[in-house]
Amino acid sequence: MRKTKRSAVIRAAVLVLAALATGPAAHAQAQTIQTSNAWARRAPAMESMDKMGKSETTGKMGGMDKMGGGGNGAVYVTLSNAGAQADSLLSASSEVAQTVELHEVKNEGGVMKMRPVQAIPVPAKGKTELKPGGYHIMLMGLKQDLKPGDRIPLVLKFEKGGEVRVEAAVR
Amino acid sequence: VGIRLDEGSIPAAPEVSMRGPGFVGTIMAVLILLLLAGLAGAAQFKGGLLTPTRAAADFSLTAQDGKEFRLSEERGKVVALWFGYTFCPDVCPTTLAELSQARQRLGKDAGRLRVVMVTVDPERDTPARLREYVNAFSGAFTALTGPPDRLAAVRKAYGVVAEKRVVSGTSAAYLIDHSAFVYVVDPAGQLRVMFPFGMSIDDMVHDFKLLLQ
Repeated sequence: MRKTKRSAVIRAAVLVLAALATGPAAHAQAQTIQTSNAWARRAPAMESMDKMGKSETTGKMGGMDKMGGGGNGAVYVTLSNAGAQADSLLSASSEVAQTVELHEVKNEGGVMKMRPVQAIPVPAKGKTELKPGGYHIMLMGLKQDLKPGDRIPLVLKFEKGGEVRVEAAVR
Repeated sequence: VGIRLDEGSIPAAPEVSMRGPGFVGTIMAVLILLLLAGLAGAAQFKGGLLTPTRAAADFSLTAQDGKEFRLSEERGKVVALWFGYTFCPDVCPTTLAELSQARQRLGKDAGRLRVVMVTVDPERDTPARLREYVNAFSGAFTALTGPPDRLAAVRKAYGVVAEKRVVSGTSAAYLIDHSAFVYVVDPAGQLRVMFPFGMSIDDMVHDFKLLLQ
């Protein structure tokens, strides 16, 4: 934890130095969003039987109109914002899933409620941790099993920070 | 005679009252010790203790291999019951992964812990789908489905909530809000402990070991 924090600080410092070195023009484009501890929970694609992916008729996932794939997964990552302005994760994409959504789970008296969210806020000079029982990036309709040791590529799109590539280690 | 006894009791009274604090004190001390022992007993478990314990409601459902599973046939083992669904990407896999790690840490006693997932989504969760899902976590796990009314009766017996939700803003056909406790049944078939979501693996191992003693 401390190590993660320190490395985030070091990276932020490097970014600031890089921005100073390249002048004000480059400063606006400096990467303000950093990711750390990106990981995905192991999950089966469930392709071999009972296919239940995206419906051709409704476009819905996990409906009764069965179409290839059907397993779901979750990606967790810590988002750090070195910028002076608050930012938001707006969407994510990955080649391993048919659909990728941003979700939040809330524990209401022991009952877990998972809901889609429009955005995941990342405060200025702060960070947001996506973790089990909180925010996650939901991979729907997996095209492959997520096996421990695999690395899953994702592109995260931020409101201000633009696109950030990240690899999530499956465990 | 009564007067004599009364008289006799008068001198005795101060004696009793002098002995009194000692006597009452002893009782108090014993009570406090019992209370502390009781508290210590309760505190021994890391999960939520069910007091008084009650017999875990028996049920019979279909396992992922198509065979019938009956809870009462698991006497002698600790059974960890989880109610979830395969479409769930976060809470269910987290819990199953943690139970898998906890089970491994029991070493030679791992075989005495039965981890059982009961689906709250019989519409999607066929035995074949459940098999593929739980096998990703442990080949030793059991996953159960059955007729919706029978599953509902099992949930009711354990106080489990499961509500199907059609939610806007997602491409999922539906989601299910559900209770996220692990219900732990001891080798005698008594429902003893409940693990809340997020309880550490260390604490799970601790409680499983206590129940397996």
